[in-house]
Amino acid sequence: MKKVLTISTLALAMSTAANADVRINGFANLIGGITSSDDTLYGYDDNIGFGEESLFAIQVSGDINDRMTATGQLVARGSDDYEVDFEWAYLTYQVTDKVSISAGRLRLPLFRYSASLDVGYSYHWVNAPRAVYDVPFNNLDGVRVDYNTFVGDWEINLQAGAGTYENEIAGGKLEGSNTLVFSAEATYEWFKVRGVYGRSNATLEIPDLAPAFAQMQQVSPELAGFLSLNDDSGTFLGLGVEVDQFDWFVSAEITSIETEESFSPKDVAYYVTAGARINKWTPTLTYESLDGNNDIKGLDIVAGLPAQLQPAGAALAAGVQLPFMEEYDVITAGVRYDYDTNVAFKADVSKYTDDIDESNDATLVRVAVNYVF
Amino acid sequence: MLRKHALLAATLTLLTSFSAAAATTVIVHPSNAAALDEKSVQRIFLGKEKKFSDGVESIPINQVADSAVRGDFDENVLGRSSAQVSAYWSKLVFTGKGVPPKEVSSDADVIELVSKNPSAIGYVDSASVTGDVKAVSLN
Repeated sequence: MKKVLTISTLALAMSTAANADVRINGFANLIGGITSSDDTLYGYDDNIGFGEESLFAIQVSGDINDRMTATGQLVARGSDDYEVDFEWAYLTYQVTDKVSISAGRLRLPLFRYSASLDVGYSYHWVNAPRAVYDVPFNNLDGVRVDYNTFVGDWEINLQAGAGTYENEIAGGKLEGSNTLVFSAEATYEWFKVRGVYGRSNATLEIPDLAPAFAQMQQVSPELAGFLSLNDDSGTFLGLGVEVDQFDWFVSAEITSIETEESFSPKDVAYYVTAGARINKWTPTLTYESLDGNNDIKGLDIVAGLPAQLQPAGAALAAGVQLPFMEEYDVITAGVRYDYDTNVAFKADVSKYTDDIDESNDATLVRVAVNYVF
Repeated sequence: MLRKHALLAATLTLLTSFSAAAATTVIVHPSNAAALDEKSVQRIFLGKEKKFSDGVESIPINQVADSAVRGDFDENVLGRSSAQVSAYWSKLVFTGKGVPPKEVSSDADVIELVSKNPSAIGYVDSASVTGDVKAVSLN
């Protein structure tokens, strides 16, 4: 009897301790880079810099009760002068073993590595391929539902998010309302496939473009209305596959982002990455490409203008679109070394090729230390 | 050249004996009658499954990262290096999706916890298994 009591007391003690846990975790990426002489890339130039991609973060999470957890993440980024910002703060309610609902500021499930994008330790790159990952709507203020289950040997993960986002881009403020994102991921031992669909009503006013839009309003209100980004519907599509045989892996993601009735060009981006795991070393090769170099939009509206207004209309339409068109590819060779189960060292060299303006071509060398605790 | 070969052979022998010595056995409470195979142990230790096959809550107990038995368990049962397992958990931890198993520092601690809690599941060096716990065959 006494023995039984002891056991149940112990069991109780264990579960109570788990409930009362306040967990403090953190991660840090210290990244330094230098480009080929007189070139710039990702904010780096030909003097070694550590401020562009380095970050330090603390996460605090606590169990409110059996089913509810509160999580907050404070991040200090070198690119923001290490100013501390609450990037995530949300409550998670575990409805069942398979279903959880989170509400607050959280990460949108857009990409394979979205959730741990800031945790360099979780992937093999110095930084995730920007062609695909560098989007201005990674964080969402809203709700996300996660569903996990097994179907035979397949692990299925479904996520749905809804809410709004806000970010600064090109000196202006980007706002997304009525944002909805659905993602589905299926994993079979060494194989993973995922698909994403997202939509949002986007609004973006860029101060530098304001004079051009004011003129356009004079020339053709219809053209200005068409090309301005004001509560316009945008779509996000993504597809990813991964084969991971432990000794080696290959994965790829492709995404398409389009806001049809706006000056913002359609971007199609993808990367393919492969690597080998040799004891503590993981050498990798990554190719990424972004194509946002399209036909000028709105020329059909221009064609309907009186002949004397057409040259001005065409020039203005091109003027607000051309600065945002991009077409480039990057090839990166890198290596990760697992120093410990919470520290990794990395180095890579990237060759950036700009297909619009070759004076932007650059080579970048980076080194990194990733730490988690 | 010859010397190098001899050295290599010695290293290999050492490695072999090392991994043989570190053979791990998964253990549960003697009353635990749930069906367990390698896949279900993987799922429990990776936080993908929170219950045994009979519906009882499962509490995995890990060993500290620098122990030989942990390295062997990670490589041979989870099929990843310890660094990869840790990278996997960092993904879950920093997305609020999971908490890694508690770590203890010796086989004796694992046996102690497992012998006292019907929900606990751990692993130890095969040579350390005692009658207080039930050894699980993963085949």
